[in-house]
Amino acid sequence: MERLDRRVVVVWLWRVAVFAAVLAGIAAAAVTVIEPGVDRVVAAAGVFAVVAAVGGLHVALRYRAWRFDVREDTLYIERGVLVSVRTTVPYVRVQHVDSRRGPLERVLGLGRVVVYTAGSRGADVSIPGLAAARVDDVQETLRRLAIESEPEDGEGDAV
Amino acid sequence: MRLHPLSVPLRAVSRGIGLAWAFLIGGVALSQGDPVLTGGAVVAAVLAVAAVVGYELAYYRRFEYELTEDSLDIASGVFSRREREIPLRRVQNVDVTRSLVARLLGLAEVDVETAGGGSTEANLRFVSREEAGRLQEEVRERRAARERGRERRSEAAEPAGEEADLADGETTADEERALRGGRGELLFELSDRDLLLYGLLSFDPRLLSGVIAFATFAVPSLGRRVDIPNLGLVVLGAGVIALAVGVWLVSAALRIVQFYGFKLRRVGDDLRYERGLFERRDGTIPLSKLQTVSVEENVLMRRYGFASLAVETAGYAPGQSPSGGSEAAIPLAPVEDVFALARDVEPFGDYDLSRPPERARKRYVRRYALAGLAVVAAGFLVNRFVASFPWYVLVALVPLAVPAARRAHATRGFDVDDHHVVTQQGWWRRQTTVVPNHRVQTIIERQTIFQQRWDLTSVFVDTAGSRSISGSGAVAVDRDDGEADALTESVIDRALVAVGVRSEGADTGTGAVPANAD
Repeated sequence: MERLDRRVVVVWLWRVAVFAAVLAGIAAAAVTVIEPGVDRVVAAAGVFAVVAAVGGLHVALRYRAWRFDVREDTLYIERGVLVSVRTTVPYVRVQHVDSRRGPLERVLGLGRVVVYTAGSRGADVSIPGLAAARVDDVQETLRRLAIESEPEDGEGDAV
Repeated sequence: MRLHPLSVPLRAVSRGIGLAWAFLIGGVALSQGDPVLTGGAVVAAVLAVAAVVGYELAYYRRFEYELTEDSLDIASGVFSRREREIPLRRVQNVDVTRSLVARLLGLAEVDVETAGGGSTEANLRFVSREEAGRLQEEVRERRAARERGRERRSEAAEPAGEEADLADGETTADEERALRGGRGELLFELSDRDLLLYGLLSFDPRLLSGVIAFATFAVPSLGRRVDIPNLGLVVLGAGVIALAVGVWLVSAALRIVQFYGFKLRRVGDDLRYERGLFERRDGTIPLSKLQTVSVEENVLMRRYGFASLAVETAGYAPGQSPSGGSEAAIPLAPVEDVFALARDVEPFGDYDLSRPPERARKRYVRRYALAGLAVVAAGFLVNRFVASFPWYVLVALVPLAVPAARRAHATRGFDVDDHHVVTQQGWWRRQTTVVPNHRVQTIIERQTIFQQRWDLTSVFVDTAGSRSISGSGAVAVDRDDGEADALTESVIDRALVAVGVRSEGADTGTGAVPANAD
């Protein structure tokens, strides 16, 4: 079982911070309008602190829950804090594989691999927070395995 | 090929009326009686209609389609052009819809669905009725010809099971077509009595939630808390029952209009249905593209020994088709007939469903009891703030949690054999879904924190069928953790064997794989 790169925590924490800041802004605006007798800076700071704390805890648990495994015939992914989800994708079902790198991910030297199947529920499966070199590696491996696992006579048509 | 010339006026009218109306109403309202402005609005409406007619004319002139040996090519677009080529072997469904007006004019709308993308891939509005039939038939024939060619190439040494079956059934596909003149073999016809029964039995209690939502709107407008005398309570009760019966009858009438004259035929390897009182729908379900088969029975149907059958392809599912109506392969028939046809469509053996572990039932008892308590609490609040009524009567609901839980436990289960996964779930509408192993896309195990306490996991068997999007795919609900892992592993293994990635020992030789393993 492989874990994600530790640096992905930074990406997730950044998102939590942005989300908390937006909520704090909304709280400040609401306090200004309603005037419940609370200082607006205190309200904003309070909301930010609470959201950031809960978000931070969630990020920590999320990192601990995340793992994946490139197996012989399948890709296995385990994730989720409140709802634990374990997905098994046979390579023969892979339609295409993307690698994506956002701006912050690029700065940190990270990337994500997104695997698409024809399925309807788990149509796209993504592995975030891989080191840049590992992204190319995983993408290449998945691509190769997907092609290799295709039966010669083309009987494995997904749909 | 061009669309039918009459499609220009029909399209223009259907689009123009709304637009002209909007211009007129909006213009008249804005002008506030000023004759000059009102005149302007009329002129604008006329111009809008002229523009629509012009556009539709251009659309007609610039729309061209052609059915080639292995694809359907469409060049369309007035301003930006689009040339689309749909390989026939990727076509999932070909549907022909004839609205009342189109029927009078002898026109039909053709929709072609493939698995990719969200919307309908090709939409021909409108072609003549004969042309629609021709397209449907040619697509089927050319695809079948390709498939036969491929099977021949892939050697006669391994006679594919289904072909062998067909041969046993004394005719080959070619002879069959020659015999029946392309109309195929009638598999099922909904009699008027069954249609009426279907309308009455297919009631979904969720429709009543609309009534309740309306009530919550209406009630607060009463203002403060009112005391309802006993007689008023009776009147209120009678009103609610009358409303429920009304909703039931309306939904029955809608179903009857939708499914009037339902017929299901088998033409070669396609299922073909037609139905509808005013708007006739005629669709094909290619069996070589079949993803799942499910037998559905709601509580009422089960009581009287009826069931319905749904066949899912990747183009869209019954119920998600553009019509929004249920295109169930069979709307209502005696249970035995439904299973016979289901096995004819996708040969699956007897199954023995294993139920969730006993502790799951305890979980359901708690869950339903909590729901019951929530209703009691809501009743108490209504009594306190809105209208007084004997809210404590609602307490009688809570013990119902025990039978409800028993029923939930008895309607959930799964079974796995060499060729299929069978799952069952649904409290009101019990759904037994059969997934051929070679159609499995991914397996997803999900465990919420509530399930975690009981060491229970739900296993979703995902296929390319579009039904699972709406959450009605194949699920083994609330299995023991270890059992869920074992289930995942065995389904994946069998799926890999079925698609030919892995060859397993003698017990699951390739000869045993269903022939339509495309």
